[in-house]
Amino acid sequence: MQIELMHQPGNTAAKIILAENEICTTEAGAMIATSNNMDVTTTTHKKQSRGILKAAKRLLSGESFFINHFEPKGGPGELWLGANLAGDMMTYDLDNESLIVQGGSFVACEHQVEIDLGWQGFKSLFSGESIFWLNLKGNGKVLLNSFGAIYPIEVDGEMIVDSGHIVAFNETLDFSITKAGKSWLHSFLGGEGLVCKFEGKGTVWCQSHNPGSFGSSLTSGLKPRKA
Amino acid sequence: MNYKIVLTGKLLDDTSLEGAIESLATMFRIPSEKAEKTFARAPITIKKSVDEATGKKYKMALAKKGIECTLEVLEQRVLAEDVVQPDTSVTASVQNEQLVEGVATDSPISSVAAVSPENTANSQHEEFKHDNADPLLGYQFQFEGRPDYGFVTVKIPADETLKVEASAMATMDTNIKMKTKLGGGFSRFLTGESLFINEYTAEGGQGEVGIAPASPGDIGHMFLNDETIYLQNSAYVASTAGVEVETKWQGLTKGFFSGENLFLIRCKGKGDLWFNTYGAMIELDVDDGYVVDTGNIVAFTEGLEYSISKVGGYKSLFFSGEGFVCRFSGKGKIWLQTRGVDAFASWVHPFRPVKNKG
Amino acid sequence: MKSEIRGGKAFSYVDIELQPDEVLVAEPDTMSSMDASIDLTAGFNGGFFRGLLRKFLGGESLFISYFKNETKQGRKITLTQNTPGEIRCVELKGNSMCFQPGAFIAMTEGVKLGLKWAGLVSFIAREGLFKLEVSGNGKVWYGAYGALIDKEIDGEYIIDTSHIVAYEPGIKLKLQLAGGIFSSFFGGEGLVTRVEGKGKVVVQTRSISGLTSWINPKLY
Repeated sequence: MQIELMHQPGNTAAKIILAENEICTTEAGAMIATSNNMDVTTTTHKKQSRGILKAAKRLLSGESFFINHFEPKGGPGELWLGANLAGDMMTYDLDNESLIVQGGSFVACEHQVEIDLGWQGFKSLFSGESIFWLNLKGNGKVLLNSFGAIYPIEVDGEMIVDSGHIVAFNETLDFSITKAGKSWLHSFLGGEGLVCKFEGKGTVWCQSHNPGSFGSSLTSGLKPRKA
Repeated sequence: MNYKIVLTGKLLDDTSLEGAIESLATMFRIPSEKAEKTFARAPITIKKSVDEATGKKYKMALAKKGIECTLEVLEQRVLAEDVVQPDTSVTASVQNEQLVEGVATDSPISSVAAVSPENTANSQHEEFKHDNADPLLGYQFQFEGRPDYGFVTVKIPADETLKVEASAMATMDTNIKMKTKLGGGFSRFLTGESLFINEYTAEGGQGEVGIAPASPGDIGHMFLNDETIYLQNSAYVASTAGVEVETKWQGLTKGFFSGENLFLIRCKGKGDLWFNTYGAMIELDVDDGYVVDTGNIVAFTEGLEYSISKVGGYKSLFFSGEGFVCRFSGKGKIWLQTRGVDAFASWVHPFRPVKNKG
Repeated sequence: MKSEIRGGKAFSYVDIELQPDEVLVAEPDTMSSMDASIDLTAGFNGGFFRGLLRKFLGGESLFISYFKNETKQGRKITLTQNTPGEIRCVELKGNSMCFQPGAFIAMTEGVKLGLKWAGLVSFIAREGLFKLEVSGNGKVWYGAYGALIDKEIDGEYIIDTSHIVAYEPGIKLKLQLAGGIFSSFFGGEGLVTRVEGKGKVVVQTRSISGLTSWINPKLY
C-alpha cells in the first residue's frame, strides 16, 4: 500500500495505490474516488458483525463505527480518500506498537492493523464530549487527518495541550486532565478550561485548530435544528 | 492546429535583461537562474502544444514585459528538454507550507491565472494573466488566496458585464453597477441554488470586481472556446457574456435517487468561466472509467458517460457512508474536490442553534 | 520574544518562545499547546467597565489572557484562532491599526488595546458600536477566516462588510446598498461598505456569513 498526500495542508487528500490482494481499511465516508476495479465491503470495526441494527445502535453511542475495506480485483487499484473537515493528513508506520488516536482523526490503515475501540483513558474526563478514542495496534501504515495543520510535540518532561487539539499520541505517554496555569479560575476565565497534560517521553501530534471553537463561531449564522 | 511559442531572445523597447529575466521567472514560476539560462539559450521553445488563442495570449503578455517571442506551427517532434517547465519541485504534494506560500498573493503576476483548463486543477501550474486587448481572449483577472481560499479579481472592460453568483461579490470599484437577474429560472430554483445571478457592469470605464465564493476551497478558470462543460450546481462562480449557463435537468433516475443533489449546470459557448470547489481540486484524466462519490464531483467534460449506482452491496449502501457513486465511462476529464458538502453538513449539526418550541 | 507564523494561509498558527518574565496578552481560548510551566492569568482588559464595553458593544470577549514565563529559560507556546485562515503579525511603532470584531488574537505588552466609537452605521451592520484600535509599540497578531489580501485605497472602493478585517486609521467606512433596493435585497449582497481615504485595508477572501449561508440550504 502506497500513500501519497496531495494538496497539503489545507484540504489534503490521500492517493493510495493498492497492489492486487492488498486491502485498505478506511473510515466510512472517506472515499472520494476509486478506479473501476475496486471491491468494497462494509463491516463494523470488529470482524464478527452482530447484525446491522445492533451495530447501528453502537454507532450512535460512539462505541462502534463502520469501516470500509477496499480491495482491487484483477490488478492494482487506485483509491482517493478525503476527510470530513478541511485540514491536513499524516501517515504513521506502526512498528509493533500502539498509537492512541482521536476518533475523528482516523482515516485509513492497512488491513492487518488492529483497531481497538476499547480504550477508555479519557472517557470519564471528557464526559459529554462526543470524542472517542481508538487504539491502533500492530504493524502497518496508518493514515490520520486533522482540523488544520498537524504539528508534532516531542514531549520530554511536561507539555500542555488544549483538549480540542489532540490528534494522536504514543501510548508510552502519561496524561492527566488539568488546568492551564496555576489557577483553575483563571484557566476557565481565560477560555482554556480543561487541558491535557502529557508527561514522560513520546510524541503528541496536535492539530493547529479546534473544531469545537470553529463550530461555535458558526452557531449564530446556522439554520436552527429541531432538537 | 497546435503552436509552439519561441522566445527569440530579443528584448523590446528599453527592457533590461535583468528585468526580463525577472519577469520570465515570475511568470513561469521558475528560479531566476533557470530563467537566465533560458535567455542564454534563446531562441528556445518555452511552451508547446498550445492553440492559437492561448499562444496569442502568451505572446501579448510577454510583449508587455518587453520580451519578444514568436508563434510557430508545432513540428511533430519537439524535444522535451527544450521546454521550460514550471518548477516541479513544489508541484506535487508533500511540502505543505511551501505549497501554500508558493501561491503567494501579493504580486499581481505571481498569482497569475491559468489559461487553459489543464492548468486549473494543479495550482502550481498557474501561468499568467493575459491581456484583454482582444475581448475574445477573455477578461483580465488575478487569483489570490489559492488553493484553500481562492479569490478572483476580474477586470471588467468599460461597459461590459460579468455574471457572478449571487452574494459572492467581496470588493468592487465604485463605478461598477450591480443588477440582479433571474438566472436559470425555475429549474435553478429546483436545484436548491439561489435563484439569482448578479450582473456587474463597468460604467464609463474599466472596473474591477473581487469575488469570494462561499465555500472554502480552490477556484479555477477555463476559457471555453465553443466548448461545453458540466458543473456541479454549486461550483459556478462567474462567467462572461459569451458563456451560456443553463441548468440541465438530470431526470429522475440520475439525479433524484442519488440523494446527493447531483444537479448539473451546463456551460457552453465562448468566454471565461470561473468555478470553485469545496476543498482542494483534483484533476483526473479518464481513460478507462472511474468511480467518484457524487459529493466530490466538481465538473467534467462533455463526452463522458455517467451513471449513478451504489458502491457495494446493500449493506454498504447504508453504512459505508459512500451512498451513491457516479460511474464514469468514456474518455475525458473530471475535476474533483477533496471534501464533500454532506460531511460538513452533518459535522455542523451539533453546532446549530436549537429551535424554540412553538 | 521569538515568533513564527506557520501552517500556511490555510491554517495559520503562531509558535512563540517566551523569554523569562515575558508576557503575552491573548484573546481567550487561543492557546492550543504550551509548556506546562507557563502561567496563565485572566483579567479584564482595561478594567471591568471597559471589559464590559468590549464584550457587549465591541463584539470582543470580556476577559483577556496573560501568559507569563516565570522560569529562567525560554518556553514555548502555540496560539491559534477559532476559524481556519491566515494570521498576520504587525509590528507597531507608534502607529495604530483598527480591527473588526474577532480579528484580534494576541499582542506583546507594549501595545495598547483601545476602543473607539465606530458609529451607528457599524452597529447596523452588526459589527459593533465600537471598534478595536491597537496602538503603541510592539507586535500584534490578527487573523481572519480565509486568506488575507491588502488593498491600498486612495479614493473610494466598495467592500462587502463581512470581508473587512482591519484597516489603517486614515480610512473611513460608510455603509451603503450594494445596488438598487431590489438588487441589494435579492442579490444576496445587501449592505456593502464604501471605504474612503488613503491607507491600507485588509480583506479576507472568505466570510463566516458566506459559509453559513452556503451550508444552510443543505441542512434540514
